Amino acid sequence: MVKLILVLTTLGSLTACSQVQPWERGYLAKQEMAWDSDPLERALNDHIFFSKEASSGGNTAAGGGCGCN
Amino acid sequence: MGTYCEIQVFETSRVNAKRQIRRLIEEARRLESKYTRYRDDSFLSQINGSAGNQNGIRVDIETAKLFEHAQVCYEQSDGLFDITAGVLRRAWDFNLKQVPTESELQGLLPLIGFDRLTWQEDILFLPENMEIDFGGIVKEYAADSLAKLARELGVKRGLINLGGDFAAIGLQPEDKPWQISVSHPDNRAKAMAHINLHEGGLASSGDYERFFVLDGKRYSHLLNPKTGWPCAGLTAVSVAANLCTVAGSFATIAMLKPKKDALDWLRKSGLPFVFMDDAGHIGGPGLIG
Amino acid sequence: MKNTASRSLITLSASALALPGIAKADAPPLNSSLSYKISSYREDDLSREQVPFGDLGRYDIDVHQFKFISPLGRDYALFIDANHENMSGASPWFSTADNDGQPIINMSGASGIYDSRSEIAIGARYYSLTGNIGGAIGYSEENDYRAKYVSVSGSRNFNNDLTTLTVSASHSDDEIFPSDAERFNRVRKENKRAKSLAVSLSQILSPVASFQTALSLTGQSGYLSDPYKLQDSRPDNKTQVAFSNSLRYYFIDANGALQGDYRYYRDDFGIHSHTLDLSWFQNVTNSLKIVPMLRYYSQSPADFYSNIDDFLKPLSENQSSDYRLSAFGAISGGLSFVANFGGWITTLTAERYVANEKYSAFTVDKPSPGLVQFTRLSLGVTYEF
Repeated sequence: MVKLILVLTTLGSLTACSQVQPWERGYLAKQEMAWDSDPLERALNDHIFFSKEASSGGNTAAGGGCGCN
Repeated sequence: MGTYCEIQVFETSRVNAKRQIRRLIEEARRLESKYTRYRDDSFLSQINGSAGNQNGIRVDIETAKLFEHAQVCYEQSDGLFDITAGVLRRAWDFNLKQVPTESELQGLLPLIGFDRLTWQEDILFLPENMEIDFGGIVKEYAADSLAKLARELGVKRGLINLGGDFAAIGLQPEDKPWQISVSHPDNRAKAMAHINLHEGGLASSGDYERFFVLDGKRYSHLLNPKTGWPCAGLTAVSVAANLCTVAGSFATIAMLKPKKDALDWLRKSGLPFVFMDDAGHIGGPGLIG
Repeated sequence: MKNTASRSLITLSASALALPGIAKADAPPLNSSLSYKISSYREDDLSREQVPFGDLGRYDIDVHQFKFISPLGRDYALFIDANHENMSGASPWFSTADNDGQPIINMSGASGIYDSRSEIAIGARYYSLTGNIGGAIGYSEENDYRAKYVSVSGSRNFNNDLTTLTVSASHSDDEIFPSDAERFNRVRKENKRAKSLAVSLSQILSPVASFQTALSLTGQSGYLSDPYKLQDSRPDNKTQVAFSNSLRYYFIDANGALQGDYRYYRDDFGIHSHTLDLSWFQNVTNSLKIVPMLRYYSQSPADFYSNIDDFLKPLSENQSSDYRLSAFGAISGGLSFVANFGGWITTLTAERYVANEKYSAFTVDKPSPGLVQFTRLSLGVTYEF
């Protein structure tokens, strides 16, 4: 019987050095790598710190105000 | 898809696995109902139905990108891989084992030619009597799409098999590569070769029972769009690449080229492949044992 | 760089990679999900030294958050957020000097404050091959405060989806109507508006690293003072700028991810601040993550901040003894457990926050006696279906 082993070359090393190909984005797709990995936690923190500190604003435009500050 | 399809995922949670599979089948059905030749209500049938229509037909971005890929295949194969070549089926009936006359073929050749398609932004004008066949592209694209979706759904290990077009997600449990048997062109139940697939895609093209022998001459269903006659190149080829779509394009183009050209071209790509020629000889880089 | 790939391979790969099912970076969420999170945080009591008279207790707050996300067809998604919080306790009312000239706090209402806030926001988003665009409207109501807001944002991916540009804008229209206004001679009804614009650029650096930089600009106008403080008068306009930088890095060997965020902030009240947030996401098993978090914050004081109210100063002049306008530093640490079983994600979080003038990165001329410390516990569940 004929046996073959196929080893895949990575296209990434062949095309351009800085290119991260779609199939190489498995780690980047993980929840913990997201910019907003836990929206409820982020919203809660924004709200708490908004009421305890003078600073606000971040990566996106602010939502509505509250009487807490 | 008009063919045998299989989706394998390895998950610790049964509930998750079921949900993932359900979602993947949904996506496979979507692509099938959009691009199948075998249903009158598919978008592909609508495109073919628009042949000769002065107003053309507006295509969505997914279809437009498939046409763009088909154009690259057409250019890279010097016109051999032509998605408008399906009209030759009107003359060639591989069930009846009849060889058409030269004049019959000459009558069809003017209806072939990817460069005869005209576009106005996203509107395609398909000339009268011409037709589009996404064979060699859409099933491979579907395998890649399902693999991409599976990764997004959290699948770490899985294998998509759409009628011999494979896309692997990760390795098998215990980090073993996927063992894939490539069917023998003469008998699908028989293995021509076994291939270890790591993450990526594998596609095959070949005569696969769609050929006939008449007066000692083998007539392959892979037809040269320039002459209308079968290509007398390889009998089967399987190519592995990072994407099944890329593997499929290479496999299809290799089958259409003359044997020597095909092998040179495949070797130059650096992709792993295995082939069988008309003498039954099996070879390809990475061949051991 | 090795270059053995044939022209055909590069060309065919490039066109295959442009196919939507393979390249599509932006897509609505794949599943519907419903999340609920309950949090409780308790501010530490003040000491008798800080508050010679009256109650020492500060705020106790319970927060309920709901979030519903649902894909609508292949290209759209719907988002609904609802929040409800209950607060009770007291907050600093005014600040005076003791016999040694040290500031002491006088807390509001001996009977304490009870308030609740309800908020609802509804948004939709459209996802295309190259990005997404969406908006939301929201409404929030308290006994003494009402906010109506609208926001829009759009993202576009470039450079094989390695680069993403996001622009967002929002507008909020708020009304303030303090309780017991007549009895305590507070303002009856005031308005406040906020407009905000943010631009962010994110870049994938490698298969395990990405970076985001963002600039946000907020302009507030209207009644920006604290109506409950006895001696509080702030400018009618405020411009805030925040410059944020975020890094995400996955350590394959450790099977964990680092999230680092740094923000520089300044406004025209004279406040500058630094915020540094670090979280480590350790994958323990396929379904369990442990997440330690550390945060450092420090701000400089507002130009008109004083830790002792001057009752002779006319209210036409800017002044405030609000601890949130003083110079201070704050350190907080927390720990989360995230478990994922069969469509259910459970998150348990504990956090401790300590503000102290000693932690300040800025000079502290007038330390506030009213800085807060609090402990928070949260329990969240998300069900995907």
